[in-house]
Amino acid sequence: MSKNISFLLLASALVLVSCSDVKRQPGSVYMPDMAYSRAYESYADYSNLAQKNINYTGTPVAGAIARGEDLPFHIPMDAPGDTTNYTASKAVKNPIVSLTDVERKEAERLYLINCGICHGANLNGNGPLYKDGAGPYPAKPASLVGDAKYEAMPDGQMFYSLAYGKNLMGSYASQLSRKQRWMIIKYIKDKQQEGKAAATDTTAKK
Amino acid sequence: MQSTYRLTRYFVSTFILFAGFFAGFTVKAQDGKTLFQTNCASCHQVHKKLTGPALAGVEERWPNKKNLYAWIRNSAAFLKTGDAYANNLYNEYNKVAMTAFPNLTDQEIDAMLAYIKSVPAPGAAAPGGAAVAAAAQEGDNSLLFGVLTLILAVVALTLLQVNSNLKKMADEKEGIVPEKPVSFFRNKSNIAFLSIILFLIGGYYTTKGAMNLGRSTDYQPEQPIYYSHKVHAGINQINCQYCHTGVYQGKQATIPSVNVCMNCHQAINEYKGEKLYSEDGKEIDGTNEIKKLYKYAGFVEGKPWDPSAAKPIEWVRIHNLPDHVYFNHAQHVNAGKVACQTCHGEIQKMGEVKQFSNLSMGWCVNCHRETKVQFKDNGFYSIYEKYHQDLKTGKLDSTRGITVEKIGGTECQKCHY
Repeated sequence: MSKNISFLLLASALVLVSCSDVKRQPGSVYMPDMAYSRAYESYADYSNLAQKNINYTGTPVAGAIARGEDLPFHIPMDAPGDTTNYTASKAVKNPIVSLTDVERKEAERLYLINCGICHGANLNGNGPLYKDGAGPYPAKPASLVGDAKYEAMPDGQMFYSLAYGKNLMGSYASQLSRKQRWMIIKYIKDKQQEGKAAATDTTAKK
Repeated sequence: MQSTYRLTRYFVSTFILFAGFFAGFTVKAQDGKTLFQTNCASCHQVHKKLTGPALAGVEERWPNKKNLYAWIRNSAAFLKTGDAYANNLYNEYNKVAMTAFPNLTDQEIDAMLAYIKSVPAPGAAAPGGAAVAAAAQEGDNSLLFGVLTLILAVVALTLLQVNSNLKKMADEKEGIVPEKPVSFFRNKSNIAFLSIILFLIGGYYTTKGAMNLGRSTDYQPEQPIYYSHKVHAGINQINCQYCHTGVYQGKQATIPSVNVCMNCHQAINEYKGEKLYSEDGKEIDGTNEIKKLYKYAGFVEGKPWDPSAAKPIEWVRIHNLPDHVYFNHAQHVNAGKVACQTCHGEIQKMGEVKQFSNLSMGWCVNCHRETKVQFKDNGFYSIYEKYHQDLKTGKLDSTRGITVEKIGGTECQKCHY
């Protein structure tokens, strides 16, 4: 009998030890053909479709413009070492002349999500990734307000940098639509104007 | 009179103090740091190549200081002098011309050079690592509790044995003939007791297992790269929507493509935060995980990145809804203003992501019954004019509000069509 008990104890100890609480497998399903889509869903592997004689392309036809989207930016990206197009982009005008209150709120939301992380919520180039050098980002991001270079930079040139990237900044074309990019640029320009107005205000008071 | 004298004396002494301070004040390494950060840091690092070369040891590489000054102030003009080293450097860094700084004085440049010299090479010392490791070791007491239970069980069994032995001895002494003992497994009451227990335990696990069929709560697969939401969304405060762009506009929250990672990781090529551990307790080398990303991106450090060389990272899908359910992220996040954490748990604290909710229909319906729709200042629901009217007149209790159920959120066709 004691043999039985010791066997039971040993078995239960083994079960206890072998049970890890990290669930690395998804578990079983009742009806796999319902749970796992037979249709091709987002992020399915499309690579072998051609072998099955299915013609599919994940990208829209060249030149297609989504509904509600702004017209394309006609200046292409510079070849490395060249700045012709970057300079030429200065001439492009921002199609957004002024932001309504709703648009401004939306532009601010987009700025805080996409730009604020480096350029700071106050546009001073001190976002949470830099934190005066204490954050993980090794270089100081540009101060969009209070730096003469960026105050003087035309909207078109900012758009060029947003669309193709500049120095360490990557392209944001995949994250922001053209309309959203122009909205953010308008928002930055408005903030720069406010900054200037505040500065002249205080000097005038002195 | 006395007080005026004291006041003047006070002012004079402070003036002398300040004058002394400023007289000894020259441009030093500290100012070099600010100068470096405002002028150079967007393209240069001291010990790492960014857009431009690493600047450590720049003075040794430029023996002629005059040339170095000229090069820093106006690189384009200096290139025209035909200096071989400068031209090679220009070509090596893809002909990216350095911004001209005509206003920098020799003294200011010296201050920056002094600062560059004063920055120690990375990896010199990193104290504090051991303390973090020790803290992580604590916290898991389940093994200790298990051993304790086992010891107590053994003690209880021995005591029972001792008790029955003593009873047997006492009976023998009093001359009572013991009944012929029935073996443990033949005893009817024991058999009944054991079978009831087995039935209960078996029933519990069968029901639980059956209910969990197709539900994968806590599913936490190993991903091709140890990507920590805790580091990105928690510590570094990156908004969820920075990477999951589609969540506001579409059905899918979208998994970011490699170029989104490279927005930051072209520059951030090492991990210096607190130690990382996988769910199994293995230590993770963050820098090595970033190297894995570079492999997918086809990025070689110090060289410009060609995004067309990137290959997608095949993340393991965690959340899966059956084919016959329609779910749309934008509807919940944009129109419904539901926070990500409501369904995904405290994602900003997860090292490895696990499925927080069971994604069962009961779970969906329950939330639709209880959640109040944000009717106020939400254009999406302006169409429900009667409800707005009733809320205004007090016909509907505004504290209880309008639940999702009230606007048809539990109709079958809402999700199954």
